[in-house]
Amino acid sequence: MELSRRNFIKFVAGGAAGTALSPLPWKLTDDIAIWTQNWPWVPDPSTGEFTNVNSVCNLCPGGCGISVRKVDTRAVKIDGRTDYPVNPGGICPLGMGGLQLLYNKTIRYPGPMRRIGPKGKGEFVMITWDEALDILAKRISNLRKKGMPEAVAAVDGNQRMSTMSVMVERLLTSVGSPNYVTTPSIDDTYLISNLLLQGTDGPMSYDLENADYVLSFGCGLLEGWGAPGRVMNAWGLWHDSAGKTRAKIVQVESRASNTASKADRWVASRPGTDAALALGLAHVIIKNGLYNSRFINNFSFGFENWTSADGKDHVGFKSMVLDKYSPDQVAKITGLNPEDIVSLAKDFARAKAPIAIYGKGKDDLDGGVYECMAVHILNALVGNINKPGGVLINDPLPLSRLPEIKQDAIFKQGLGKPRIDQAGSLQYPFAGSLINNLTNKIIKSPKSPVDTILIFSANPVYTLPDGGAFKEALEKIPFVISFSPFRDETSYMADLVLPDHTYLEKMVDVVWPTGLQYPFYGLSKPVVEPLYNTRNSGDVIIELSKRIDSTVQSAFPWENFEGVLKARAKGLFKAGGLVTYDNMNPAWERKKYGNGSKHNYTSFEEMWTKIKAGGLWYQPVHGFDGWEGLFKTPDRKFEFFSKRVQLAVDEYAGKTTYKTALKNMGITVTGDQVCMPHYEAVSSDVNMSAYPLRMMPYEMINLASGWIPSPPFLYKTIFDNQLKGDLSFAAVNPKTATEYGLKQGDRVIIKSPAGEVEAGLSLSDGAMPGIVYLPLGFGHTAYDEFLRGKGVNPNEIIDAEKDPLSGHSVWWNTHVNLVRI
Amino acid sequence: MTHPANSSKKTSKGGWIFLLSGFVLALIVGWVIFPMVLYSKQSQPMNFNHLLHLDPEKVYGIEGDTRAEQCLYCHAFYEDGTFAGIPKVEKCIECHDDPENPLGELPEEMEFLVKYVAEEKEIPWLVYSEQPDCVYFSHIAHVKMGKLDCQTCHGDHDKTEKLPVYQENRLTGYSILIWGKNIAGYKKNTWDRMKMDDCAECHTKKGHEENNACFVCHK
Amino acid sequence: MKKGHDQGKHKYGMVIDLDKCTGCGTCMVACAAENNVSVRPDESDKQRSIAWMLLYKIDNGKEFPDTETSYFPRPCMHCDDNPPCVSVCPATATKIDYNTGIVSQIYTRCIGCRYCIAACPYHARTFNWWDGYFPKGKGLDRYLSPEVSPRMRGVVEKCSFCHHRLMRAKDQAYAEGRKELKEGEYITACAEACPAQAISFGDLNNPGHKVSRLSKSPFAFRILEKLGTNPKVYYLSTKDWVRKMADNYLPGEFKPVSKASASADKKTTLQGG
Repeated sequence: MELSRRNFIKFVAGGAAGTALSPLPWKLTDDIAIWTQNWPWVPDPSTGEFTNVNSVCNLCPGGCGISVRKVDTRAVKIDGRTDYPVNPGGICPLGMGGLQLLYNKTIRYPGPMRRIGPKGKGEFVMITWDEALDILAKRISNLRKKGMPEAVAAVDGNQRMSTMSVMVERLLTSVGSPNYVTTPSIDDTYLISNLLLQGTDGPMSYDLENADYVLSFGCGLLEGWGAPGRVMNAWGLWHDSAGKTRAKIVQVESRASNTASKADRWVASRPGTDAALALGLAHVIIKNGLYNSRFINNFSFGFENWTSADGKDHVGFKSMVLDKYSPDQVAKITGLNPEDIVSLAKDFARAKAPIAIYGKGKDDLDGGVYECMAVHILNALVGNINKPGGVLINDPLPLSRLPEIKQDAIFKQGLGKPRIDQAGSLQYPFAGSLINNLTNKIIKSPKSPVDTILIFSANPVYTLPDGGAFKEALEKIPFVISFSPFRDETSYMADLVLPDHTYLEKMVDVVWPTGLQYPFYGLSKPVVEPLYNTRNSGDVIIELSKRIDSTVQSAFPWENFEGVLKARAKGLFKAGGLVTYDNMNPAWERKKYGNGSKHNYTSFEEMWTKIKAGGLWYQPVHGFDGWEGLFKTPDRKFEFFSKRVQLAVDEYAGKTTYKTALKNMGITVTGDQVCMPHYEAVSSDVNMSAYPLRMMPYEMINLASGWIPSPPFLYKTIFDNQLKGDLSFAAVNPKTATEYGLKQGDRVIIKSPAGEVEAGLSLSDGAMPGIVYLPLGFGHTAYDEFLRGKGVNPNEIIDAEKDPLSGHSVWWNTHVNLVRI
Repeated sequence: MTHPANSSKKTSKGGWIFLLSGFVLALIVGWVIFPMVLYSKQSQPMNFNHLLHLDPEKVYGIEGDTRAEQCLYCHAFYEDGTFAGIPKVEKCIECHDDPENPLGELPEEMEFLVKYVAEEKEIPWLVYSEQPDCVYFSHIAHVKMGKLDCQTCHGDHDKTEKLPVYQENRLTGYSILIWGKNIAGYKKNTWDRMKMDDCAECHTKKGHEENNACFVCHK
Repeated sequence: MKKGHDQGKHKYGMVIDLDKCTGCGTCMVACAAENNVSVRPDESDKQRSIAWMLLYKIDNGKEFPDTETSYFPRPCMHCDDNPPCVSVCPATATKIDYNTGIVSQIYTRCIGCRYCIAACPYHARTFNWWDGYFPKGKGLDRYLSPEVSPRMRGVVEKCSFCHHRLMRAKDQAYAEGRKELKEGEYITACAEACPAQAISFGDLNNPGHKVSRLSKSPFAFRILEKLGTNPKVYYLSTKDWVRKMADNYLPGEFKPVSKASASADKKTTLQGG
């Protein structure tokens, strides 16, 4: 019975047989197989109850309806809403990627922050809200005590007329500072143009869905202009049923953008010549008698030559256009063929419902006022104002005014001071605010006239087309406060960050998306509980006012921001509007409903509860009651000759000379032309031989270029001839490249008087010869590894001019040179 | 001279014992020790008495005509047809709502009221039939449309007074109820095992071969 | 002989109207967000970037200002006749289900040999060279959907026609006591998201569904039709140059559709510059 070799083998054999007859080897094999499929570090998303929460997207002023799919408390997907009037179902790529902005911890501020590192480095330490608010309140009340409340300034990136925007302006006013400035928006151009031509103060309302001929001057219909969900839906309607095109789309633009490429006709005129082309078309329309004489004869002023009360003869619009804008003359300016101008004008005038619309890519950059007026003149000529498929005239949204602000001595003293940006002054009579002027004033003054600057929903360091000037200005401002929820370039420059919630965590209103043709009010609501120690900036303003002093506090008698929203929404109740939407009755179709009738609430509270649930209030497109009394100009007429401009120029000329006045206002023509839409060649004192090419930034719908960062998802949609690794590409026509001895893929330095950037070269037949097109939205220096250091930001080298009349920046005319590396 | 026959006889006698002991030892290891080592044993955070809750004489309010409907009273479907699985505390407090006033006398109920209801915490139940992440399973398709009893897959869980010990496969990380209670994979009842083949077997048996397509059960 | 699929009940398919498509990329983002597709810090490396739905940009090759571009959104074609990927898979990780027409991909079964990638004529499949990018503490795993299993490195993934949405729609129908789905109850994330309503989705076997009507349009075509894979993704375009891009034609082989198309195709561009 000893353990011999033989016995041992028997033991092992017995063991083997026993093992084989036991489950061990089989079960183990199977388990190992399963084990190999375990990847414990791969996320295993938790499941639970699925719900959908309706809200409104607030990432751009478009205000599309969204439905957020949640699993228990987590948001997992954003979809478009079909029960929403603006966007019946679809949304844009930015809105689709919104959850990456909510949940990406590294791009958000976890709570109030105080700067500890050097400005611009983004080194902060977290403090409590109490501390943060005290620091800021003390600073503002000290300035008030010192009698210099005007040293407080604010930059506001919120949508015009939105309650947040009203709150920011109110804070500044109650503190006693006139220095409230906004970031650019095409809405400003629209407002001035409408005021000058029509005397109206409502938003620009393009009835796109009902038009059968859309002549778009640079409007980035497919680049994100207006509410992208609405415009692209209209695009689908225009092209419905294969083979039959319902509406004809013509795009005037120098580059083959998505809009230009997908349009029925692409008119590649030189950039900045929109006014000349529009007036050239007017020339053809007038010459061929294709204009609406009923409208022109009865409801317009300044079309024919006229004599003023003082007996002076004036040139009418007709004479001016016939004299100065013949197809041949316009062809020289725009680079188009005269025959094409004629055919385009005839097509436009002969369409049943033609509309001429104006824009500059997306809507968050300035446009030119004379240009916008010239384009709108076309609608007047064909009488397509306030008619289906034309430009509608609406009153501003009927929101209640907030109560008057109590005025104290400091208030009067501060508000009595001129605005630093000179908006509304004799030189810039029509501008609401001019951030470019503010920047220049701060840079040029030995000591910054602004001591404390509050920045709301904006990232001007990155977004302003000013060649980096705003950043320079921030370096000089002693105290900078950002309310951004994101670690963006501007908040990196801040001394104090009071982070807002993101749009999925707060209640905030969306007021009349750009270009929409009917009154609309949207309400975003919290979809998830706030993830971090952030606060709605509206609530923060109320709390801050309490800590400044009792005068400022008295301007904010509300318990919270919702109280302010409700106070303003009272006016919506009075006006009456629908708070639910049935997608079988599109809001742009005129049927069934009268103006705001048939609403299903009886009290304000009931309406408010319903708005909170559905996120919308609107009045369907109004009926058309002719042109009687439509225009709010002194003699109730559409003014080809703007008396407001005449008045403003005369007033300024009275203080100086006529010549100086015009020169300072940026107007190069004289006489009656000044008061009429005309073409202004952008002047530039740049040495053309040193900078023979021009650079134009271009926008894309699939890349955010405003204050909201791009969700990383969007980078999947970027082509590798736009961004490759860390290099972004400039699109250049092959002919231009050959001229400069450059080829596809070359690395080049693009040099302008304002600076230089490095980019790759991408040859494209969609680029106009002589122009270098750089994409907007790359080149971040803040945020995280997804965005930082990717490509370049063309804003850094923009050498902006000033738009005549408005003083806004002309960002589309930077002279550059290309140097191969 | 050694007798070869003798020596061989001698060793072979003892040898059989070696063979047998190796054999028996391996069987013991394979059948008894291996399963003990393979599965970890964890007890649930607290006990739940299914039998008690389903006794209409003791607990009032759990409605349902059939056994399945009674299960569904707590283990409910959401409106969208997805299955809630183990109910949340929210469901329990439909009856057990007041931490001051327990409905019965069991210590578990007090524990539940004090530790979870009052603290607003969920109970970290261990799920006996948790499938891997790559598996999709629709309860409503089987219970409502396929008219399967809960028992078919979950056995007589509703008849238990004490929650069974949760056993997790140390290698794969899955519950013992997925591979099957029987270490040999021998299946006596339909609810003994929940592997892919078991699903397919039932689909085939019931004439639903189309449901054996990969994407029906995988996501 | 009857083709495998005609015996099946449903044949889900897609029709993409390229005239309506604006090239905005919402379909790509919707797809990635819906299906837990990983996003890496460098998505410009297109050979490594993962996309189930991919947007291709094409142009007519003409010079400025006659150049014209268009877009092709490309999901998995869910080939109906012997999908090339299925027949080459050594692990049976990808199969076609003739009851839905959907070609499945099971990640836990995939061995990562990438034979299917080589076989697919549409480049519809991508390989996970890395695990999904969800760094600890960054919080990006918080938006992941439990309806689609996140992938691990070393496996191939592709468009599933949002199969989980079919299951979701079925669950909803069952909850309402119905066995059959109505049109529109099951649509893919890209079709739902498209702001121009360019993507239609439905049952090609059901003559009442929009897709089955649209797929019979004279302007309908499929990519690389001549390979005989019988894709279930149709495209519509009234432009001949766009349709011509979808396959390789011998001189004279391509036939313009009709006079209607010829007139619609006449896009004019005015000279500038």
